[in-house]
Amino acid sequence: MKCCAAEKELTTEQAQKRIYLVGNPNVGKSVLFNALTGAYTTVSNYPGTSVEVFRGSCEIHGVRYEVLDTPGMYSLLPITEEERVARDMLLSEPPDLVLHVIDARNIERMLPMTLQLIEAGLPVVLVVNILDEAERLGLRFDLHVLEEKLGIPVVGAAVRRRRGLKEIRAAIVGFDPDERAVFSYAADLEKDISRIASCLTADYGIDARAIALLLMQRDEQLTDLVRGREGDQFAAVEAAINEIAFDRRVDLHLRISLERKRVCKGVLEGVIRQDGQKAFDWSGRLSDLTMNPWTGIPILLLVLYFGLYHFVGNFGAGTVVDFLEAGLFEEYINPWFIEMCRNWLPWNWLFELLAGEYGIFTLGVRYAVAIVLPIVGTFFVAFSLIEDSGYFPRLAMLVDRVFKQIGLNGRAVIPIVLGFGCDTMATIVTRTLETRRERFIATLLLALAIPCSAQLGVILGLLSAVPGALLVWGGTMVGLFLFIGFLSARLMPGEKPMFYMEIPPLRLPQPRNVIVKTLTRMQWYFLEIFPLFIIASVLLVIGKLTGALDALVRGLRPVMELLGLPAEAAAAFIFGFFRRDFGAAGLYDLQTGGLLSPVQLTVAAVTLTLFVPCVAQFLIMKKERGWKASLGIFLVVTLLAFGVGFSLNRLLLAVGVLA
Amino acid sequence: MICGFCHREIPEKTPEVSCGRCGGGCRKVHCPHCGYENPLPSPLFERLFGRKDKEKKK
Repeated sequence: MKCCAAEKELTTEQAQKRIYLVGNPNVGKSVLFNALTGAYTTVSNYPGTSVEVFRGSCEIHGVRYEVLDTPGMYSLLPITEEERVARDMLLSEPPDLVLHVIDARNIERMLPMTLQLIEAGLPVVLVVNILDEAERLGLRFDLHVLEEKLGIPVVGAAVRRRRGLKEIRAAIVGFDPDERAVFSYAADLEKDISRIASCLTADYGIDARAIALLLMQRDEQLTDLVRGREGDQFAAVEAAINEIAFDRRVDLHLRISLERKRVCKGVLEGVIRQDGQKAFDWSGRLSDLTMNPWTGIPILLLVLYFGLYHFVGNFGAGTVVDFLEAGLFEEYINPWFIEMCRNWLPWNWLFELLAGEYGIFTLGVRYAVAIVLPIVGTFFVAFSLIEDSGYFPRLAMLVDRVFKQIGLNGRAVIPIVLGFGCDTMATIVTRTLETRRERFIATLLLALAIPCSAQLGVILGLLSAVPGALLVWGGTMVGLFLFIGFLSARLMPGEKPMFYMEIPPLRLPQPRNVIVKTLTRMQWYFLEIFPLFIIASVLLVIGKLTGALDALVRGLRPVMELLGLPAEAAAAFIFGFFRRDFGAAGLYDLQTGGLLSPVQLTVAAVTLTLFVPCVAQFLIMKKERGWKASLGIFLVVTLLAFGVGFSLNRLLLAVGVLA
Repeated sequence: MICGFCHREIPEKTPEVSCGRCGGGCRKVHCPHCGYENPLPSPLFERLFGRKDKEKKK
C-alpha cells in the first residue's frame, strides 16, 4: 500500500468520487471525517428527515473525493431513523468507497456489519479504530490475516491520535474496485438466498444477495421498495420468502444473525490474541458465570440478598425510614404541625384534612417523604448500579429457559425487571414482546406477583425483622409466579419466539451514570406520587367525615377475618387500590403500631402484594389489553390474592410456622 | 445516550417521539433497539454532573 499523501481541501462542488464513512455510533467516524476533510464541511438534513448528514471534501494523491459521514448504524437492517437514513444513502447514492469504521475493542460485535457491507457488493475498506485502547487492554491483532480472510483492505488506526491516517489515505487511493470479496454461509441458507435473489430482476444499487437476506429478515421498508420495483414479479419473490419461512420453521432473522456470528468467529480465528501479561479476562469470565445456570442462579441470589434485602430492605426501609419517619416526623415535625393546626384552625374538617388521622400532611406527606421516597431512593441506587454494570442482559439469557416454560422468553426480563420499579410503566413496556400471548402473560404476571419498588422495600423492611417470614413471602411469590405462568402457557398455547440478543460487555458501574439515573428516577417518582398521595389523603378524609370509609372497612371486615387479619388491615387494602406503595405504607403503620402478629404480617404482605393492581395500572392494562382482558386479569388476581392469603393463613396456623 | 439494557446508542431525536401513552413530559426514553425504558436526565442534573454525550462537529 502506498502512503504519505498530500491532502488538500476542496469545495464540495468540485468533488468527484464519493466516500462514505459508516459504522456503529461512537467508533470515531466523526474524528476520521474531520481528519480527512479538515474544516470545510457542510451539514444538512437528509431529505424528509431531521437527521443531519455531514459532507466534506478532500484531495488525496490528486484525486478528489467527497466524504460523507453517515449516521451511526448497527446493521443494514434499520431500526432507528438514523439507521434508515444511513442505509438509504448507501442504496440511493452508491459510493465509490465505503470506509467501515469499527472499534477494535468490540471487533466481534461489529464485524457482522462488515460482512453485510461486503455481501451487499459495496467497495469496503475496514478501519479497525481505537487500536491504542485495545492494545492497552492486552489485545493484539494480526490485521494481515484479517485482510486475507475478508478479502478487503484492512487498516489499523487510532485516529484520535492520528495513527493510521496515512495508511487509510493510501487504502483509499489504492483501492481496486474490481476486487470483490466473497464468502458463504451454510449450504441451506445459501440455497435460500440464491432462490430469492434469482427472483429479483430490478436494479437496487446493491447486490441481490443482500436484498434477499434483508427480505428474509422481513425488512418492511425494503419489501415495499422491492414491491414497487418488481411489479408483477413481486408475487414470485413473496411466495419464495413465505415458502422458505414455512419450510425452515425457524426465525430467519435469528438464523441469519447466528450464521453471521459463526462466520465472524471463523474470520477472527488467528486474528486476535490476548497478551500474556493480561491473560485472565475477569470481565469475560464473570460474564460467562452470570449466564451459566449453575453459577448464574447463586450469583442472582447474591445480587438479591445484598442489593435488595440488605441495601433496600435493611438500610432503606429500616435505617433511613426509621430516622425520617420515627425520628423526624413522629417526634418533631408531626407533633409541631398538629399542635399548630389545633391552635390556629377553628374548623374540625380543615384540621382533619391537614393534620388528622388521614390528613394531607400527617399521612400523605409523611408517607411520600418519610416512607416511600427513601425506599424507592435506595431501590433506584441498587437498580442503577446493576443496570449500569450490564447485568440485566445476562439475567435475560439466564432466565430464558425458565421463562420459555411460562410462555415467555428472555426478552420479558425487560418489563419484569422494570415492574420492580413501577408496574404501571412496565405494563406499557410489555408491548415490546413479540406475540399477543406473551404480552398477555407478562401483563398478568406483573399485576399478580411483581411488587413495585416501594411495596417491595416496605415488605422487605417489615418481614426481615421476623425470621422465616421473608422466606415464606418470597417462596409464595416465586412459586405463584411460576405456577400461574406455567398454567397460562398451557391454557393459551401458541408459538414460542426465540430470544437472541448481543450481550454488551460487563463493566464497573460509572458513578456519574448511577447518580444521574438514580436522581432522575427519584425526581420522576416523587413528582408522580406526591400529588396522588395528597389526593388519596383528601379522599380518605372525605370518606372518614362522611362515614363512607367506615362502611367500606366494615364491608371488608369479613374478608379480613377470613384472612385472619385485624379489621384495621382493611384500610391498607383500600389504600393499596389507590397506589400499591400507599397500601404498603399503610401496612408499615399497622406493623409499627403493634397490630400484627408474625403470621398476620406474612399473610397481609402476601395478600397485599398479590392484591389487585392499583388504579393507574388497571387503566393502563385496559388501554394495552382491552376491557375484556383487563377485567379478566383483575378478577383472577383478586380471587387469587384472597384465596392464597386465606390458604396461607390456615397453613401457617396449622403447621405452627412463624407462630 | 446509551441504553441501560442493550448498551446501544439511542439517537438524539428519540426523546422527542412520544410513546403515545401520556401527554409527554414523563422524561423516559424507550430504546428503539430493545424497548427498554431509560430515564432521560433533567437539564439540572446534566449541568450538575456534566453532560456525557459528546457534541458532533458543526
